[in-house]
Amino acid sequence: MAGLLQNKPLLCDNIPWVEALRQKGRRAFEEQGLPTAKTEYWQYTKPRDLNADDFVMQNSEDYEFLTRDEHHHCDCGGNCSCGHHDETEGIDLNNRLLPFDAYYLYFANGMFIPMYPALPAGVEVKPLAEALADGEAKPYLGKLVDIEKHPFAALNTAYLEEGVFLRIQAGVKLNKPLVIWNHTEVDDENVFYNLRHLIILETGAEAEIFEYSDYCGAEKSRYFANSVNEIFLSADAVLRHYKLQDEAYKANHVALTAVRAKAAARYHNFCFQRGANIGRNEVIVNLCEEQAAAEVNAAYKMSGWATLDFTTDIEHLAPATFSDQLVKGVVDGDARGVFQGKIEIHPDCVATEGHQLHRAILLSDTAEVDVKPELKIYADDVKCSHGAATGELDEDQLFYMQSRGIDVDEARRILVEAFLDDVLLKIENEAIRAYVKSRV
Amino acid sequence: MSTPLLEIEDLQARVCDREIIKGFNLTINEGEVHAVMGPNGAGKSTLSNVICGKPGYEVTGGSIRFKGKNLLALSPEERAREGIFLCMQYPVEIPGVPTATFLKHAVNAIRKHHELPELDTMEFVKMLREEGKKLGIDNEMIKRPVNVGFSGGEKKRLETLQMSILKPALSILDEADSGLDIDALKVVADGVNALRDGHRSMLVITHYQRLLNYIVPDFVHIFADGHIVKSGDKNLALELEEKGYAEFVKEK
Repeated sequence: MAGLLQNKPLLCDNIPWVEALRQKGRRAFEEQGLPTAKTEYWQYTKPRDLNADDFVMQNSEDYEFLTRDEHHHCDCGGNCSCGHHDETEGIDLNNRLLPFDAYYLYFANGMFIPMYPALPAGVEVKPLAEALADGEAKPYLGKLVDIEKHPFAALNTAYLEEGVFLRIQAGVKLNKPLVIWNHTEVDDENVFYNLRHLIILETGAEAEIFEYSDYCGAEKSRYFANSVNEIFLSADAVLRHYKLQDEAYKANHVALTAVRAKAAARYHNFCFQRGANIGRNEVIVNLCEEQAAAEVNAAYKMSGWATLDFTTDIEHLAPATFSDQLVKGVVDGDARGVFQGKIEIHPDCVATEGHQLHRAILLSDTAEVDVKPELKIYADDVKCSHGAATGELDEDQLFYMQSRGIDVDEARRILVEAFLDDVLLKIENEAIRAYVKSRV
Repeated sequence: MSTPLLEIEDLQARVCDREIIKGFNLTINEGEVHAVMGPNGAGKSTLSNVICGKPGYEVTGGSIRFKGKNLLALSPEERAREGIFLCMQYPVEIPGVPTATFLKHAVNAIRKHHELPELDTMEFVKMLREEGKKLGIDNEMIKRPVNVGFSGGEKKRLETLQMSILKPALSILDEADSGLDIDALKVVADGVNALRDGHRSMLVITHYQRLLNYIVPDFVHIFADGHIVKSGDKNLALELEEKGYAEFVKEK
């Protein structure tokens, strides 16, 4: 554990409420420690690799360097001379664009790269450190995550400093997806970093966010990325939140997204996990006012020794709320897929619907899938369903394709793609869907 | 005398430890159409699955040679590329895979094997439309997932379409008429007959004589208890229709 709790200088260490929050996080992590098989919701995913004492943390640049006020609200569309459209020294961002039109925020090894996209009016972005310094983050930080029950969120809180503060003002509809690119590039050292994003959509605001975690560098690198998102959706806000996790095979990636949705707000989540030694994505959604709705979908595909874990906790806290989950996985080699899906319908939350379906395909005899659906229903007049099925590729379908001359490996690939097709269709943005498909 | 297209000698095969094919012999030359007729449980489907290499069938003796090559050493896809096509009794549904995509993979896999350039999408779609038209298969149908929601007749027409675009040297028709009304049967038979050019060969496996009115065979074999009990020309099928299987099975 010593490896994860280090005394590193943090930004804003002179601000009492920030320090108090960090101390609280540190204590909560010390009390809980790393999850073991006995920790609730961690029975199947064992973060053994995190018991190492050789994790290296880097110090962040001073936020004043990161902050360039005059650039925050530029909507010149790239035609002005403010300089923020230029390449940042040392990083050729033009080579790093995804094949769709988007706004980009970059993090390298967990540190913000001070490049501000030209965002439309009504969209505010700043480094988390700045929002700590000016106090804007205070009403939001830690409000959606119980760090006494989430050890990695506690650890994340102990190191609060890196991340973004994103606020979309009432009625503003973001015209392009915002990409939050989390790039890791290390050599021999085992880098450990934390990211904390605060995303706030005011009444009626709409946005698409694409979180992208990728890696380049030595394959043996055993880094640990620990991120927490807290997302606040006011009434009628709509957030489509996509994530692609595509990392080194020895990477450890633990992410928690906690969402609060108010009246008629809609949260759509899609997470595609591939790669990583441990990839854990946990999504908590609190549907706290009527007509709030969440769609939480995911797909995972891996081989080798990976464990990919998708864990959800959908809390129906008001009547007439709606949730739907579709999770599909393809597991090969000695890999393990984990899905833990919880739906809780609190008392008096009538006329509520919660649905959940998990399906997985095992491509080898040593692949494993562990599924734990959990439905807690304390109200009458609700509609709930859940289902889980794990199987193999259909032999008859394979033979049918082979008997037409199609190579058996090609046939398998076609069938896997077909299996994941319906869940990928949950990505409403066609360009993003095409990109994610290209990475399947 | 040229090499026969298909030579099956003393074939023995089992499924789940049960002996199904017991000393089966058959030779098919280029351009010939053979019908194998047999009662239920004779091993007709086992025969076609063994020829095509379906997993789960164990060959315990004998040999199958195709164009002089040992067929049993080849994978199912290699057999298909060499020119064997199985028109299935129950075509398989493949949700999520559009029919056109599936067909393009198949056509190009076979073209590649014969060192022909792969067809691009434009060329492929053009060819598919022309061939589809003859069988009453419209664009809507080929956009749908393979066989999903197809009627019995539509499934058989799609099998026939595959046969016409893959141009196999040997087509094996396993109960091609099952589940078809007379109109659908005619469409399928016309498609099959269009492939009879004196070079392509066919093995028509059927329980009933009805199909053979439309696809007229050069040779008819009666198959019972795992082997051929009698061979003859097309008139044997009519004789069988008259007398029933019991007569021939008894002869042995």
